[in-house]
This record gives sequence, C-alpha cells and structure tokens, in this order.
Amino acid sequence: MKFGIFYELSVPRPWTRESERTVYNNALEQVKLADELGFDQVWAVEHHFLEEYSHCPSPELFLTACAMITKRIRVGHGIIVCVPEFNHPIKIAERTAVLDILSGGRLEVGTGRSATWTELAGFNTNPDTTKKSWDEFVRCLPKMWTSEKFAFEGEFWSMPSRTILPKVYQRPHPPMWVAVTSPGTELDGADRGLGSLGLTFGQFAEQEKRIAEYRRRIQLCNPVGEFVNDQVSTVNFLYCHEDDAIGLQRGRHMANTFNYLASQLSSVREVFPAKSYPSLGLLPQLRRQATGPEASEQAGEGLALGGPERITKALKRWESVGVDRVNFLLNTVEAIPQDDVLDSLRLFAKEVMPAFAESKVPVAGGR
Amino acid sequence: MPLFGQLDVQPIASRLAQLTDLDTPAWTLAGAEILQLAWEVADESLDLLPRAMHPAVPPYATLLVAAYPESPAGPFNLALLRLMGRAGAHPRGYVIAAVASTPDSVHALRRQWGFPAELGGITLRRYHDQVTAVVSRDSEPLIEAALINPEPISGGDVQYIHSVTLARLPEGDRSAPHLIQVDPHYTFRKAERGRLKVRRFETAVWNAKTLAPLAPIAASITTCDTDLPQIRFVMDAEVPVVKGTRKIR
Repeated sequence: MKFGIFYELSVPRPWTRESERTVYNNALEQVKLADELGFDQVWAVEHHFLEEYSHCPSPELFLTACAMITKRIRVGHGIIVCVPEFNHPIKIAERTAVLDILSGGRLEVGTGRSATWTELAGFNTNPDTTKKSWDEFVRCLPKMWTSEKFAFEGEFWSMPSRTILPKVYQRPHPPMWVAVTSPGTELDGADRGLGSLGLTFGQFAEQEKRIAEYRRRIQLCNPVGEFVNDQVSTVNFLYCHEDDAIGLQRGRHMANTFNYLASQLSSVREVFPAKSYPSLGLLPQLRRQATGPEASEQAGEGLALGGPERITKALKRWESVGVDRVNFLLNTVEAIPQDDVLDSLRLFAKEVMPAFAESKVPVAGGR
Repeated sequence: MPLFGQLDVQPIASRLAQLTDLDTPAWTLAGAEILQLAWEVADESLDLLPRAMHPAVPPYATLLVAAYPESPAGPFNLALLRLMGRAGAHPRGYVIAAVASTPDSVHALRRQWGFPAELGGITLRRYHDQVTAVVSRDSEPLIEAALINPEPISGGDVQYIHSVTLARLPEGDRSAPHLIQVDPHYTFRKAERGRLKVRRFETAVWNAKTLAPLAPIAASITTCDTDLPQIRFVMDAEVPVVKGTRKIR
C-alpha cells in the first residue's frame, strides 16, 4: 500500500491578505516533509468558487511549486475538470506535459467533470453534457501526449492537425485516473483502463464490493491510454498522535469540520434536475456524518485518526479490501495547528508506514 | 465557518403563524401536480434568512406551485416562495411566503405546519409547449411564471428539498418563534423538465426584492403522491441548528 496526501486548500473566514498565503505556505511545508518521510504522492484538486472549502483553482501551479521543493514524491493533478468551459484540452495536454517535465516524470493525471452547481453554473456549463465531454477528453489526452501530430473533430471540441508541444517526460505517458464520487463512475474508469481515484471516506463493505467489480471490469477494458492503470486509490483523513484519545479528538474535529463545509456545497442534483448526475455522490454520506464541527463523537468507519496502532489497524483493513493507495487530508480550514500536522506526519511515517513497507507494489506504469 | 443568515426575527414575530401544538396530523396528498422553478438570487438575500441557517452558495430561490386534488381540507392549490439554504449540514428551503387557494387550507397550513399562508388565487395550466403558473392576491397577479418546453425525465432526477417555516410555538403561557421542518415524501408518477421564465414577480409584496431572479437555473413539473407529515424537528431560529434542534418524534 502506498500513501499520499491531498489538498483542497481550504481557507477559513475571515479572509485576510495573509490567510490564503498561510494556507498555501503551510501546505508546501507539509509536502516537503512528506517527501522526506517517504510519502508517495501529493494530489491537489481543481475547484472554483467553493468558499472556504477549497481555494485551489490552479492546482498545476501549486503542484509545480511542490515539484520544485521535493525530490521523489509524485505530483497528482487531480482532478482536472474535463469540461470545455473549464479547460481546453490542448491547454490540459500542454500544461500537464510541462508539469511532467519540471517534476522529472512525477506526474499523475486525475480526470473528472465537477459535481457542484456552484462550479458548473459559474462556467455556464450544461450539466447534461459533462460526462460526454469527459469521455471525449480522456480519449484524446494520451494521443495528444504521444502522437507527433494530432487532429480531432468531436462533439465538444475540434482542432486541425498540429504538433502539441512539449511531450510528456514519462514514457509512454503519465498514469491516468478518474475521480470517483458517484457509485458507478469507477466502472466508467475501469472500462477505459483508468485508475479509480476514490473520493469517498470510509465504508469498508460498500468499497469492497465496488472495488471487486472494478477489478472485474478493468480486465475487459478498452484502454484510452497506452497502458492500463488498474490501481485503486481512496481518501482518508490523517491525524496521528501518541495519545490515541487526543488523536481521535483532534482528528474528529478536523474531519467533522471538513464534512460540514463539504455539506454546504450545492450539488448539481440538489439544484438542477439532471439525468447525468444520478446521485449526490459523496454528499449524502458527508451530511450524515456532519452535524457540525463540534460533533466530536462522530468518526466514520476506517478513518486514520488516533494513535499509531488504531491507524495501522484501519489501514490494514483498507489494504485487505483491495485498496492500493490512500491519500490523506491533513487539515481543513487550519483546524489543526501547523506544528501538530507536521508532528502527525512524522509519527505516521515512523510508527505506521513500516507496517506497510513490504506490501509496496510498483506504480502502474508511467515511470 | 460558513456564513449565517441575518434575519432579525423579533420585529416580525407577532405576524408569524401560530401553531396550536406539535401533534400535527399527517395529511396524505395523492395525485399532486408540482411545478418548481429555481433561480439564483442576490447575496443580499442573506437578510431574509434566519440566523440559524447558512445560505446556499450561490444563493438561490425556488417557487413551488402545487395543485392538490385531494386533502383533508378538500382540493386546494399552494404556492411557496422559498430561499434555499442549509440547516446545519442539510439543504432546506426557508419559506418566505405562501399563498393557498382556500380558507380551510390557509387555516390548516398556518396552524399545523407554520406556513405563512395567505389566501389567494393560484392557477397551474398546461399547454403543449409550456406550463404556466399565476399567483395572485386580491385579484392582483403577484407572480407569473412558466416552465418552457417540457421534456420527460425520470422522477428520480428530481430532488425536492424539505422546507422550514418560521412560526410561533406555544411555550407555557407564551409563544416564541421557531423553525419548523416540513419534510414530505414523494412517489413520482411523471416528471418533466424545462427552462423557466419569470414574467412577473412583485417582490415588494413580501419585502423580497433580493429574491428577484438574477440567473435562471431550471424548472420541473411532476405528478406525484405526497404528504404533509407530522412535525419531526423544530429549531431555535436564532442559534445554529446544530446546537438548537429539538427532535419531536
């Protein structure tokens, strides 16, 4: 099992001149330490207009900064919103190639389509077409990275033959993933040979079932890229403390705060009757868990919160249900002081990581 | 923390509906036809939202126009103007105004669920290319709106957000303003979706200028079996609902 960290870059009100900068600087300090401690990936989301919850509209810039201050941690651009109003596919191909070069071939590419009305309406996007545009984008990207000349005529975008430059550093190209919140999206990924970048916290039994079906389906896939990424990644919170009770208490506060902020998002389905968003994705679960930041007694199943022993046990369970990678959210709206976050990372690396050292598997291609 | 509403409840407390008690009987409402229109509104709408609630991001309002052919109060039509927000972690529509078409329904909606119901005229008409709704009071049209170009969708594609009303609850010898959650169930028989058009909206009538449409979202119309259930939760209107919620049943 591999471990990573991921960032929403949530910024608490009141927003001062320095508050955004502090959040970004703290994140960079965490990434640098995570690299030194042996964490495998750092992921950054693309979100727009999501007040407090995520102030990370340009993950490629944040990840470039990450790459410049680290040596080996892989940088996960995820997810890129594959909707033409948000990102032109040529620009995606170009900027990911540059990031892959600058990072020395450490790029992972996550893809998705956005699930909030706040964002989709902000870009004047029709929610009915995002799944189709995502499909078009993920089929084009590997060819744009690898073909000398590329031309395309599609439903959502077209281009005459051009040489898209530069080319990615990794051969044949970086691993590709799909963000999974709504049940069934992991199967869309499996059919295309994409890794499953799960964004749902907890729930062993449901995840186990979904992972098993993903594994079955990806055996039959028609890959969009030049190799199949059959890795399953999930997200989790991390707060590790020598004192299990303190770890639980602080960790739950952080997790509940995050869930509460997430529950404020206006999902497409809440606002807009859409066939293409058949479920609310992760929001119902988060709403159930989040009765407020003070709901300290709540902690979802399998969260990496508490002392090293408890966290090891939870992660072993995730490993047993078939998860290859776990990406941790370390903080939200700076609910945990920066020094405590860094201590948590160090303790996790010292006490928990060794229990998983022997089970490491190679990254699915792209090196 | 997310923003909170800024409505000062006290100045309007005396005008609020007064519940008799919290033992409201459930109403079954079979064969309802419900038109819902949603549009984005101004940030200043925060002034209309109780302090217990968070605003939606972006802020938006809905107009719900329903025809109920059967109810314990007889057939009636209902129009609800709601400012959407969050009660803690849950999406909820705060009822700004309610118009019902019969005196009996007005009385029951006020006394049993705390709707700020007024007597008025409500028409819901279906044409080949649109479904129109007109809400009037004293024969003066207040809202004229329509769903344009209906197209069939699944009932599962429609999500109705539960309402909260602001009403006075008996507390010993006194009564005090509270938020009342009204959370109907829906069994859909038919659903359609379309663009919305708001042709008239006399916002001043409800002191709701900030609810004027800024950007349309969508419109839907469904045929469904629904209800007005027993009250399950009441909330203090002045403190965050995560701290001020009381479970009734």
